[in-house]
Amino acid sequence: MTTGKWPAARPRAMAWQRRRASAARFWRRYRTHRAGVLGLATLALFVLLALAAPLLVGSGVADVTDAPGSPLERPSGELPFGADRFGRNLLGLVIWGARVSLLVGLFAAVLSVAIGTVIGVTAGHFRGWYATVVMRITDWFLVMPTLVLAIALATVMSRSLLTVVVAIGVTTWPTTARLVRAQTLAVESRPYIERARALGGGHWHIMSRHVLPHVMPLVLAQTTLIISSAILAEATLAFLGLGDPTVVSWGGLLQDAREAGAVSAGHWWYLVPPGIAIALVALAFTLCGRAVESVLNPRLGVSR
Amino acid sequence: MTSDATSASVGGGTGATDGPPKDGPSATGGRVTTAYPRYVAGRVAGAAVSLLAVLVTSFFLFRLIPGDPVKFMTGGRQVSAEQLAAYREQFGLDLPLWQQFADYCGKALTGDLGTSYQFNAPVVDKITEALPNTLLLTGTAFVLYTALGIALGTRSAWRHGRLGDRFHTGLALVLYSLPSFWLGLLLIVTLSVGIGPLPGLFPTGGMESGGEEGFAYVVDVAHHLVLPVVTLVAVEYGQTLLVTRSALLDEMGGDYLTTARAKGLRDDLVRRRHAVPNALLPTVTLIFINLGRTVAGVILVETVFSWPGLGGLFYQALSVPDLPLVQGLFFVFAAAVIVMNTLADLIYPLFDPRVGR
Amino acid sequence: METNDQYGGHHRTPGRARLVLAAGAAALVLGAGLATPLDPAPRQARAADDGGKVLTVAVAQSVDSLSPFLAVRLLSTSIHRLTYEYLTNYDPEDNHVVPGLATAWESSPDKLTWTYTIRSDSTWSDGERATAEDAAWTFNTMMSDPGAATANGSYVANFEKVTAPSPTKLVIELKKPQATMTALDVPIVPEHVWEKVDDYSEFNNDKDFPVVGNGPFVLTDYKADSHVRLKANKDFWRGAPRFDELVFRYYKDQDAAVSALRKGEVSFVAGSPSLTPAQADSLQGEKNIRVNDAPGRRFYALATNPGARAKNGEKMGDGHPSLLDRRVRNALFMAVDRKTIIDKVFQGHAVEGAGYIPPRFPQYFWEPSAGQELAYDPAEAARLLDEAGYRKNADGKRVGEDGVPLDYRVLCHATDPNDKAVGQYLEEWWGDLGIKTTLTCLDNVTDPWLAGEYDLAFDGWSVNPDPDFVLSIHTCGALPATPEETGATDNFICDRTYDTLYARQLAEYDAGERADIVKQMESRLYDLGYMNVMAYPNAVEAYRTDQIESITTMPAKAGNIYGQDGYWSWWSAVPADSGDAGGGSSSTGVVVGIVAGVVVLVGLGAFAAVRRRATAEDRE
Repeated sequence: MTTGKWPAARPRAMAWQRRRASAARFWRRYRTHRAGVLGLATLALFVLLALAAPLLVGSGVADVTDAPGSPLERPSGELPFGADRFGRNLLGLVIWGARVSLLVGLFAAVLSVAIGTVIGVTAGHFRGWYATVVMRITDWFLVMPTLVLAIALATVMSRSLLTVVVAIGVTTWPTTARLVRAQTLAVESRPYIERARALGGGHWHIMSRHVLPHVMPLVLAQTTLIISSAILAEATLAFLGLGDPTVVSWGGLLQDAREAGAVSAGHWWYLVPPGIAIALVALAFTLCGRAVESVLNPRLGVSR
Repeated sequence: MTSDATSASVGGGTGATDGPPKDGPSATGGRVTTAYPRYVAGRVAGAAVSLLAVLVTSFFLFRLIPGDPVKFMTGGRQVSAEQLAAYREQFGLDLPLWQQFADYCGKALTGDLGTSYQFNAPVVDKITEALPNTLLLTGTAFVLYTALGIALGTRSAWRHGRLGDRFHTGLALVLYSLPSFWLGLLLIVTLSVGIGPLPGLFPTGGMESGGEEGFAYVVDVAHHLVLPVVTLVAVEYGQTLLVTRSALLDEMGGDYLTTARAKGLRDDLVRRRHAVPNALLPTVTLIFINLGRTVAGVILVETVFSWPGLGGLFYQALSVPDLPLVQGLFFVFAAAVIVMNTLADLIYPLFDPRVGR
Repeated sequence: METNDQYGGHHRTPGRARLVLAAGAAALVLGAGLATPLDPAPRQARAADDGGKVLTVAVAQSVDSLSPFLAVRLLSTSIHRLTYEYLTNYDPEDNHVVPGLATAWESSPDKLTWTYTIRSDSTWSDGERATAEDAAWTFNTMMSDPGAATANGSYVANFEKVTAPSPTKLVIELKKPQATMTALDVPIVPEHVWEKVDDYSEFNNDKDFPVVGNGPFVLTDYKADSHVRLKANKDFWRGAPRFDELVFRYYKDQDAAVSALRKGEVSFVAGSPSLTPAQADSLQGEKNIRVNDAPGRRFYALATNPGARAKNGEKMGDGHPSLLDRRVRNALFMAVDRKTIIDKVFQGHAVEGAGYIPPRFPQYFWEPSAGQELAYDPAEAARLLDEAGYRKNADGKRVGEDGVPLDYRVLCHATDPNDKAVGQYLEEWWGDLGIKTTLTCLDNVTDPWLAGEYDLAFDGWSVNPDPDFVLSIHTCGALPATPEETGATDNFICDRTYDTLYARQLAEYDAGERADIVKQMESRLYDLGYMNVMAYPNAVEAYRTDQIESITTMPAKAGNIYGQDGYWSWWSAVPADSGDAGGGSSSTGVVVGIVAGVVVLVGLGAFAAVRRRATAEDRE
């Protein structure tokens, strides 16, 4: 990939072509990872459920005033997962909760990876005191106990989904920053960057045109993996009562169940579905992330 | 490291990147002649700076928590302006922020982290009260999941691609994806409350039944320890397993192993003498990081199992907010990570034959 | 270790790792296998070291302080009830005042001097006699040392002078008449022990055991967040308790407490503040467990912000101006379906709200008349809002004439599931009226609460046999002097009519007359609509009948056990006769042991099988 060499011949079209080709290559390789495909399928299913939730269950599923069952009703034909403490349909709630859990997981991961990428690329590109300072900060965030910091942030801010997204995003970016920086350093040491510089490419040009495309695969893999932990983190914060109590999410359902005394009453059906949903989605993202990673880094192909 | 909110090092490739900041060992790695003592001094100084940074953060971050501690302490009781002022003075809240901070740092150096608002007792006392309990829980879990992770990871690598490997890797990934608090709740429902004909075998929470002494007390604590430890081990061992496994697989591609085998060395000898020691490097790093992190990561498990440790204390302190206690605990959590990371950095060159001393 | 060999192929695992693994597995098995059969089944009331009977109570609260001068939490004050005599006590039958350390009392004709006769048969646990001097010293210390006034200072605020002319005579002179002089819930401490304390604001009374006291129990041991241990006081003047030891064991988690009860590890579980409906229902069916679902002493209310202000007239906070209109307040409450709250949220474990004071205190309980009652009637609520000028706009939202929409913030306790549940109902009920509701749930609501930064809030108080305190928190006098200070006020209510009635009842020494005035105050409070009582939650608690044969509830007919006004429950509890159910428990133990053993064996077997298969594969 020696972009800088032919600046004349329709660079945009060529770039597109190249990208399409590498995407196809990527998919061909990805397909060979059975676990990755399985994870992707699971994800697709959950995303479909979340998108179709308004049609499948309707937003009324979260209403307490006209709940169909009696509080803590056992599973039955009518309510396959039973009812929650308001008598709401638990199956419907789990489906509805997918929206919040996936959304928060996605946004938090994107925020985290975005911060990490910006920090990583700039720290790798501008060396000197900037890099030193930024990497010190990164190191410092790296030693912060993530959960403790997230809990602290969630306590400091008001209880809302945005708070949860920020608390997760702001505490999980340092790993990405380190990885991206290392990759940036590797890319920038290649000769063609020298040439691009010699040809008058500015900082922005080099970072966006040369470095970013090369760190993108890494960022993609990292995002997938971080979503997995972000979903767990969302559930954790909700479970600790730091989420928005009026929003239906998987972690929130588990907290409801615990507060209602479902644990000592032995109402396992209230506890099991939200937990399985969390675990399945987290696992699916992890599987995808691992597959992406081993496609991008064939030396790890054995890790299938 | 917990499966909750930490980075995603389960991805095989990034496992090693989860180690301590790599500047140190890898930077020195190039120059074989670097003096180890100087390296140590550098690391220790870095750790000291980090500790100071943590002290600063914990002080200022928690000032942002809404809530006037003095008003909490006095509850809804009628308090005159003079009394409020007296409280503020007693806890040093009437001073300018920078002076409060200076006082805090000065006292922290002498081992005084202030007085807890809600318990009316020194923060250090509250922490030293809870610390052994947390160490007992995390220590036991740590030994078990590290041993389990390394043992299974080695086996998996050695037989990679086979059924056993796929089973263990798969299981590790599944368990790693479980929310630890949920697993804990399920264990409580099934094994301590009892479901259907299954009677409750274990206590639901706490650390002791109270009243036992001597050997009976030890057994009693062990009995209370089983479920929280099982929970922690289940969600944590996977990471060690995967990192060990991928490190070993990396190592097995190395030429020198082929050479060793060609020399006619027996398989397990090759493994034990050559591959495992080298491959354990990233694992050792991970072990130290885990050691530091489990102290903080145990919050959830302690909450679910009512374990009287630091995690539960932290949660209790945050809701007040009991600022001195929150700050103290935050400092302890972060310090644990820093100290362990530094230890990992210090030990790394001693283990790695490629990094000079 | 034998286990090493059964794996086969042991030469393939690094030796050290395997050893650690085996040791770990062994440790787990040891934990599981060894400990389990020891703790198999409901136990009898446990024997103490000396063979006595132990009553273990699961509590969810931690102790704030064991010093009577500092303690405010229910658990701590309950412990003080058990370890120190108060001047008076309340009858468990019907809450009327009965002798405690004082055997008799009388007031002077000018109502300003009270003379108490102190009993001569009460001794401190170190052998010294408890006298009027101890009482006088306790009160005087609280009056002179602000540190000692921390917890109960309000009781002595109106005291002019306290003296002990003789060991059996205590004289209290008042600044103003005070009807609560027979309800001074202040632990009397031994002067000869407490005079040595330097700083009452720092002394927690938790280092030297046993703690010298004169109640039915003596405090013998305390471990923070673990347990409080008390021993029966055999010389207690009212008679020794039947149990030899009383232990309050701390369970952070209510589920843990409930299953501890189920397994017989504790004799009693109180819940905080009560068991959840699910827990109560699941315990109801259990053998040897009785669920005590008793009328509670709490009310659960919806408080509205009356435009918070300080005594000096300065405005505080940012309450919604529409709430100053009584029609709006009444409309909001009329849209609250209290029956649904009882049925769905409390699932029957509560009584529909009416007046301010719960029916558990019949002499003060008041209900609105038919014409006065704000019954559930959403249509009427909508009409009232229209009348007040808050009509629905095109979007179906209610907007005032000034264009300000009815958007309310409801302050809720994040730690109270009922708040969050009722909050969701409010959101939907008021949403139907065209009002937007935002739930603000906080772990600690103190800050916005004291600052008046809310529109509505969930509120609740435990009511004492003497209602003075819960009435006093709605007087103008309870407002903070300036916005910077804290007042005793609950939610900034300040109403002249109410205040006049309050002053009259406080000076009224005739019980019947006083009760009448109190009811008038409740009526006034109801009409004002600042304090809307939705429910009186029951006290739902449970105990093991195979450990406690009988226990006094308060009131005697259908009453609560934990958190009584007095020491009746624990003092009166009779241990169950041991000897029955013994066979049952040991056979359950065997079953449990076998099950545990099988589980462990199956686990080990599966592990070995996996290993062996892997090994076989490996041989190729």
